[in-house]
Amino acid sequence: MKSKKRRKLADKTAYWVITLGGAATVVVVFALFFFIFLEVYPLLQGATVTKETTSALPGKAVLLGVDNHQEVAYAVYNDGTIAFLSLPDGGIVKKHQLTGLHRSSATHQDTTNIPSYSPDLQGGEETNSLKTKMQGNYLTSVSKDRHRLILGTNDGQILTVSINFSESFDNGKRTVSPEITEEGLILASPESCGIISAVSRRNEGTTVTVVHAANGRLILIASEVEQALFGAGDKNEIKKDITALVIPYSRDQSLLTYFRDKRTSPLSFLSEGKGGKSWPDTSTVSHPPIYATETEQTDKIEITALALDLFMENLYIGTSSGEIFHINVSDRNNPCLTEKIRVSDKAITALGFLLGDVSLVIGDAGGGVNVWMQVRNEGSPSVWLLRKVHTLASHGAPIVEIDTSQRDKGFVTAAADGTIHLNHATSEQTLLKFATGAQAFTLCLSPKADGILVADAKGRLRQWHLANPHPEATLKTLFGRVWYEGYEKPEFVWQSTGGTDDFEPKLSLIPLIFGTIKGTIYALIIAVPIGIFAALYTSQFLHNSLKIIKPVIEIMAALPSVILGFLAGLWLAPCMERIFPAIIVMPFFITLSIILALFCWKILPVFGKGWCRHGIEALFLIPFIIGAVYLSIRLGGIYESLFLDGDYREWFSNILGLPYDQRNALVVGVAMGFAVIPLIFTISEDAMSNVPNSLRSASLALGATPWQTAVRVVLPTASPGIFSAVMIGFGRAVGETMIVLMATGNTPIMDWNLFNGFRALSANIAVEIPEAPQGGTLYRVLFLAALLLFVTTFVVNTVAETVRQRMKLRYSKL
Amino acid sequence: MKNLLGSGNPYIWLTAGMLTICLLMISGLTVLIMVNGFGIFWPRKIVQFTLLDGEVILGEIAKRESVPHQKDAYRTKVKVGNRDVYGMDFRWIDNADIVSQTYPVHALVFERREWGNLYGFLHGLRQNGGVKPLKPESMASLLGESHALYKKIRYIAKKEIGNINYRIEKTRLELKRLALLQPSEKIQKRVAEVKARMEHLEILYREKEDTLAGFYKKAMEKEVVVLLADGREKIVPVFQIIRISMPNEMGVFAKVGFYIAKFWEFIWGEPREANTEGGVFPAIFGTVMMVLIMSIAVVPLGVLTAVYLKEYAGDNFISRLVRISVSNLAGVPSIVFGVFGLGFFIYLFGGGIDKLFFSETLPTPTYGTGGILWASLTLSLLTVPVVVVATEEGLSAVPRAMREGSYALGATKIETLWKVVLPQATPGILTGTILAMARAAGEVAPLMITGVVKLAPSLPIDGYFPYIHLERKFMHLGFHIYDVGFQSPNVEAAIPMVYTTTLVLLFTVLILNLTAIVVRNKLKKWYNRGAL
Repeated sequence: MKSKKRRKLADKTAYWVITLGGAATVVVVFALFFFIFLEVYPLLQGATVTKETTSALPGKAVLLGVDNHQEVAYAVYNDGTIAFLSLPDGGIVKKHQLTGLHRSSATHQDTTNIPSYSPDLQGGEETNSLKTKMQGNYLTSVSKDRHRLILGTNDGQILTVSINFSESFDNGKRTVSPEITEEGLILASPESCGIISAVSRRNEGTTVTVVHAANGRLILIASEVEQALFGAGDKNEIKKDITALVIPYSRDQSLLTYFRDKRTSPLSFLSEGKGGKSWPDTSTVSHPPIYATETEQTDKIEITALALDLFMENLYIGTSSGEIFHINVSDRNNPCLTEKIRVSDKAITALGFLLGDVSLVIGDAGGGVNVWMQVRNEGSPSVWLLRKVHTLASHGAPIVEIDTSQRDKGFVTAAADGTIHLNHATSEQTLLKFATGAQAFTLCLSPKADGILVADAKGRLRQWHLANPHPEATLKTLFGRVWYEGYEKPEFVWQSTGGTDDFEPKLSLIPLIFGTIKGTIYALIIAVPIGIFAALYTSQFLHNSLKIIKPVIEIMAALPSVILGFLAGLWLAPCMERIFPAIIVMPFFITLSIILALFCWKILPVFGKGWCRHGIEALFLIPFIIGAVYLSIRLGGIYESLFLDGDYREWFSNILGLPYDQRNALVVGVAMGFAVIPLIFTISEDAMSNVPNSLRSASLALGATPWQTAVRVVLPTASPGIFSAVMIGFGRAVGETMIVLMATGNTPIMDWNLFNGFRALSANIAVEIPEAPQGGTLYRVLFLAALLLFVTTFVVNTVAETVRQRMKLRYSKL
Repeated sequence: MKNLLGSGNPYIWLTAGMLTICLLMISGLTVLIMVNGFGIFWPRKIVQFTLLDGEVILGEIAKRESVPHQKDAYRTKVKVGNRDVYGMDFRWIDNADIVSQTYPVHALVFERREWGNLYGFLHGLRQNGGVKPLKPESMASLLGESHALYKKIRYIAKKEIGNINYRIEKTRLELKRLALLQPSEKIQKRVAEVKARMEHLEILYREKEDTLAGFYKKAMEKEVVVLLADGREKIVPVFQIIRISMPNEMGVFAKVGFYIAKFWEFIWGEPREANTEGGVFPAIFGTVMMVLIMSIAVVPLGVLTAVYLKEYAGDNFISRLVRISVSNLAGVPSIVFGVFGLGFFIYLFGGGIDKLFFSETLPTPTYGTGGILWASLTLSLLTVPVVVVATEEGLSAVPRAMREGSYALGATKIETLWKVVLPQATPGILTGTILAMARAAGEVAPLMITGVVKLAPSLPIDGYFPYIHLERKFMHLGFHIYDVGFQSPNVEAAIPMVYTTTLVLLFTVLILNLTAIVVRNKLKKWYNRGAL
């Protein structure tokens, strides 16, 4: 015999174990919610600076760059030196003097017209000291084309240098070593005047460079190396002055002589160039009347920024008057102005392309930052016009530099007052703002977009490590209309992955939510009447000997949804497509057959007696309904030829404008209805048969017919139960995955059409989460979709459960 | 008429009609699956069609239907097989084009390991460039030989080479682990030892590979020549043939035998040709094992919750909260459980286990990826409510008098519960467990993201330590349906298999449910007697 103490202890322990075990369910539900929420939460966070370091640079850099891992940075100096320094310790790894610059200095000597390189030559005194230090030529412009640096000199040369970082692993430790290749020299400006700015792009042997020289000329240089079978092939170079496309009047009169020499007038030059995208025919864009308005525009316009896209087709030129000139250079011989548009009241100070080179970031002297892109014009589909698609937070001072991310649609803008913004175009958010405190600087965004490097006038190199994991997901991009690249207007789009690296993820959950609602509604339209009426009949009128039907329908609830989905997708969908007209007439024939059965019952004397009493109508109806289905299939063809012009699909798309897909919402509605019917049936049948008998007896005793009793007494009393049945059915339909996955085309379109598919939240999760990298934006967005499903079903179920509990309480009181 | 409407009878009939529709839907679905699922293994006659243009087609009739928008025009879908020759398995022919339709007695179906069925006539055995005539009857011994060879090859490939691979992998991991340790003389000695073992194993491996290559060469030696319907000759290695049959010659008994053999192969065989042929044994095994692990996890939790609700909790806030949680667990979409399982069990839990215990295999995850354990645990969360509801039912059926008797004898609450109430409620718990199993067996969506694969290389139980591999990915009947029906490259040829798989799944679920109902009814009767 155990001691009393031990028995008491065992009792106490058991109490706690069981209570904790009982509470475990609550814990599980909360854990579900919190864990999913925790995975979603980082989406809502912006970018943060994780580390800030400062190291010293030897002098004032004009251009910065960094390797993939932010280990080695390079700085370019005016005198043609490139210094590499190791970022962790700040030591100089390598120094390189551009040989091209020195070679050229031997031949040209022209320092009379020193152009100003805006950011760094403003620093008064220092500039002078720098100038005195310099011997021979120096760099006047710098720009980047991924790994290539395009360096313009004061004597009209363009130097291109490519910088690559090679990584080697030794014992698991990474060493990054830079490699520099000088690619030669182009004499861009024949008058040897300095270069204000130059942009260049290269792709497989084709190089296009656009140079803005100090004499005000804009020169296009295109060189193509034709691939020959043997040897290096021919080099084909075109040099073209395109100043006249932008500036009607030049202070430099030699321009006019240039044209005269060529025996072409700028006007004819313009009218020729109609290659590529055609002229916009709207009046908003004025033909640039080159000489007509010469008088009023004299020396107002000045080119302030250049941008050339990756495809070497579109050249954008920003001017001091706040206009953008869009020049199509795809035909190198005949570049043409395709659009001129005023984008700002202030001068344009910086241009940059977002990843993919479709969207153009424009920064102006007022500090405004906007993203523009070419949008297909509504009405005339062949015309593309520049439209403002995103507006970002503006700086207080002129924008001096824009650097774009090579990972996503993010970019960094820097203003003259030393403020830096980290922006993301698609989500239109400025993720990070900080002031550097230094006035003159150059900056770069690291290739993985996880760091910003800034070199200031005092020769400090400051580095900020960024954590910016989910820039593309905001409430607006998830639930609002967003203007994506290549779209005509802001839209709700779900397209999480694309074929290319520069793909813009489109993460609007609205089409998926729409799909879920669409599928649910169609399923409920089918399931609610059938479920409730069948339950009403079963509970009120079915003969007792047939109560076995109830467990049969309960078993129907246990049918795996994958079976329903498979049959819906591979049997019902093709079958329905074949006999669709029959489906239309089927409800009519079934109703008719029920009426017919009723008359048979009345007329034939056998029924209503003995075993054939009331209560077996459901069995009696079986042959009639089978007959009705058979008849409607046989007559469907006739119906089709009489009313649907012989082909229902054409009729639907022509007359109603509804295209018919094989796997459509109707198929899903039927299949999901199949899954939901037993739920609604069981719960509402329970509610109805639990209505106290006294109520029914009273009603019948007062002379009400069984039907009146059922409708006026039983239904209202059981209505909370029916309500919760519908709610639970709704919850099931919302979360149903396999049926929607298998029976729809899974296309995320927003269209109420009964005859096309949709993509539901649940199916979307099942399809995409195996491919979503853990912790990525897509992964978290899919968790958000799961959270939405969870919250919806949680609310619906809690309401349904509470209503049901109340009803039970009320019944027990009756 | 007014009288009729007033009586409400038509409306009653309408509601009856709804119930009838429900019943017809269920029975229609069951019949559809049964007809399609049971039918596929029955040997069908091989038909030889001669068409108007003189073409001869040999195959099985798959379907006959009317041509849409044409009166009295029919077309036939013929399974012509010979995928490697014709490029497709099925062909539609217009019935109007058919000149004659015969059933050649000697037409043969060759079931092959690759490329599906081959329909044709046996021409002979290829020998030294010539063809030696061969009777279909003597094929049996040839096939017997090749099957024996196949078994041998499989034994070497799976067992022996598998064994060597397993040991090589272990040695490799040991090397890696040693490399992580502080280098010392002892360890260096050990490394040298392990390296020597590795070399020895590699030599063994190469030897086995050579034996295997020899066997393969031997296997490919014998080839039969088959005459196709269009007169072409097709050379088929005997090794490729699984079975041949002459359905046009078969009697009823032969057909029944054939049917049973095929069904046997389906249940116990391994899948072939991207799961579209062969058997589903790994899927059945995976499903059963997953369901068993799940029930081990779910029963304690479900029973504890039910006991708490029924025996311990009064009508207070906590118990209401528990009740709402249970109903919510039943209502939360299964895919949400899957997402939770992926994030919590796999990445958080599994990732943690990997870091602690399997650091030498990283970055290849061991538990940090989908596996049968995580899938089972995910499903056990999903099925808790089923167990809770059924156990509660079982507990409430235990008569009050029993409890009171126990208390009167001085037993504590837990003693009463453990010795009196729970044994009485066992059928209820059993019902709940069976229903939970049925629910888990049919669930697919959460499994898709927690460890089900279309083709698992090995079963979760095998002869290597620790024998039960809970981290392994597995196959599942439900996912098999989805995968073969919707993801396979040759859906049309795969559909019959999908129907049969569906049938197996449907039967599993129905039988489990019926068992649960029977157990529940037995329980009711039992208590009714007990109360008396």
